[in-house]
Amino acid sequence: MQRLELDNVVKIYADKTAVNRISLQVEEGEIYGLLGANGAGKTTTMRMVLGLIYPDEGTILYNGKPYNKELRRIMGYLPEERGLYPKVKVSEQISYLAQLRGMSVKDADKSLKYWLERFEVPDYYDKKIEELSKGNQQKMGFIAAVVHDPQILILDEAFSGLDPVNVELLKSTVKELRDKGTSILFSTHRMEHVEELCKNITILHSSNTVVKGNLKEIKSKYPREEVVLGTSGDVQGLEAIPGVTEVKRTEDGYSIRISQVDAAQSILNTAMSQSTIHRFEIKEPTLNQIFIKAVGESNE
Amino acid sequence: MNNMWTVIRFTFMNKVRTKSFVVSTLIFALIISIGINLPYLIQLFTGDKAGAEDITRIGLVYGQEQLLAEQLETTWSSLPATSYEFVKYETADEAALNKDIENGNIEGYLKFEKQEGNTFPTVVYSSEDEAMSPELQSNLQAALQIAKTRSIVDGLNLSESQIQELNQPVRIDARSIEGASKSGGASDEKEGSSEIINYIVVYALIILFFFTLMGTGNMIASEVTTEKSSRIMEILITSVSPLSQMFGKVIGMFLLGLSQIAAFGVVAVINLMLPHNIDTLKEMNLDLSAIDPMLLVFGLIFYILGYFLYAMLYAAIGSIVSRTEDLGQAIMPITMLSLVAFYIAIFSLSAPNSMLMKVSGYIPFISPTTILVRIGLGDIAVWEILLSLGILVVAILIFGWLAAKIYRTGVLMYGKRPTLKELGKAMKAYKM
Repeated sequence: MQRLELDNVVKIYADKTAVNRISLQVEEGEIYGLLGANGAGKTTTMRMVLGLIYPDEGTILYNGKPYNKELRRIMGYLPEERGLYPKVKVSEQISYLAQLRGMSVKDADKSLKYWLERFEVPDYYDKKIEELSKGNQQKMGFIAAVVHDPQILILDEAFSGLDPVNVELLKSTVKELRDKGTSILFSTHRMEHVEELCKNITILHSSNTVVKGNLKEIKSKYPREEVVLGTSGDVQGLEAIPGVTEVKRTEDGYSIRISQVDAAQSILNTAMSQSTIHRFEIKEPTLNQIFIKAVGESNE
Repeated sequence: MNNMWTVIRFTFMNKVRTKSFVVSTLIFALIISIGINLPYLIQLFTGDKAGAEDITRIGLVYGQEQLLAEQLETTWSSLPATSYEFVKYETADEAALNKDIENGNIEGYLKFEKQEGNTFPTVVYSSEDEAMSPELQSNLQAALQIAKTRSIVDGLNLSESQIQELNQPVRIDARSIEGASKSGGASDEKEGSSEIINYIVVYALIILFFFTLMGTGNMIASEVTTEKSSRIMEILITSVSPLSQMFGKVIGMFLLGLSQIAAFGVVAVINLMLPHNIDTLKEMNLDLSAIDPMLLVFGLIFYILGYFLYAMLYAAIGSIVSRTEDLGQAIMPITMLSLVAFYIAIFSLSAPNSMLMKVSGYIPFISPTTILVRIGLGDIAVWEILLSLGILVVAILIFGWLAAKIYRTGVLMYGKRPTLKELGKAMKAYKM
């Protein structure tokens, strides 16, 4: 049984389809990546999962059951434009939000203190949100989303606007939550985060699912088109090899685009006969390239 | 239910500690204290002086009308105590009189001028100010009338008692009738002093109603809009149903308004209990025990109902606005509505039984204030009060449902303020 399962979910607003037949499954202890350009339907999908809006078609199941009020206690949400009361103390508002999600005052306080320690900012307990920097406000928003130890955590652009140190901090926290069994639905347009965190992904483009599945499988499906060659001397005749489309000289060798994988062996042979090789790699396509390709193709 | 209490507690605790709330409550309490002590203060400054020292002297020129002047002096002394006194002058020596006015010996003087063809002379009052004080004027009028009557009836051989009878003013008494349609505590026959005290109470209740409603209503609307614009709303409605959230907020603010009213009540009672104020009230012939207790009970009931009717609309309006800057404009219609309710009631205090009041007592939004005027000052049957209450309750249910629906839809709509049509369309998409 899946923690969270969307089956052919459709949302139509007055004049346009916001989400068209999206299906996805998130297991226990999994981070699921939801990618897409702005306006692709990520936030609408998340709002449907949260029960804020209802799908026009299709079903959403949580632990095999449809949406019910009990879910409010096991879901956590960090909205894209995260908000907290600017003029209310951190301790008061996070305790309030935790209580709304069914925690006792005592447990809420304990959990909040744990998270403030975890983020190494215990002195924010008595501060008002408006006194904190943007990045720290975001951390407080993250705490508000996880303070009640949710089973299903929904993070909409969780890392945007954070400095690298804090991104690492949050990333390791997210991984930690995953390892404890939390199912996380994660949206972003920063591909490198997805490659690091997510097992399965869905790429949305103008309301449609264009790519979906296991990240490794997706990558293997996309042809390897780039060979990185590191040589000590010059190599001649690379352009002449069948299947090579483009050769670029780089600092310590060549970057070669190929149209078929067989060409890679010929390149290696050619290079070996002319120079010493200290690096040879047939590169996997990056998610960035896949994304651009997928979104670009569906545009044509 | 549990969640609603959390919302209520959070709303209340958060607002009760804000500076603006504390300050405005203190200011209003101060105004109440001053208002209650005002009669005493006025008395302190002016009342005592007028009694003893300020006797104004007026010259009375006897001239050729010796008899008339004597008459006037006798009648004058028989009138209830006035602060005027006559000084006798035999002849109309203008220079001497003017000099006395300048020296301050007299304020002005009276002179009789014989009129051709008339038996009674014209009376002329000359002084530095052109106008005569109303007190002097009415007293002179009365005294001269008596003198005139006497001078005419003198030749008629009337007895002294007959003359007295002539001078007796006609009395018109107003008495209200215990009608058949009236029953119950709200329509007791009202006597002068209780009429005044109830007038004051109704006035105070309406003002209290208006100000606490405006205060808490605006707080609700701006609170909702702030939550929306700071996007905490999205987290809130994923944690608690919009309905419990909205009603939690409305009830939280209600408790806030109620505690404010209670605080004002305590301030008022403490002030009224001060010994000097008890004395002043007694002198002014105001008896606090004459306050109709039903008026206070109904005042509270109608305040509560009226509050909920307005508060839910404030919440609904707050929910469709995305930015606090747009809020003032959006809540304008409700503000106007509450102003109408306020002014109709205030201006009709002297005409509580007019058709306008009778009709508006049944119109929700307006009835909470106007019905109070009728209960306190007019004649109203119990069934009329109950009918008005019933209509109000039905209106609360209808508007509560509508407001909840708008709220549910509005809190997730960002961007420009939706038109009614857009709102209606969006509302259909949400089940409650």
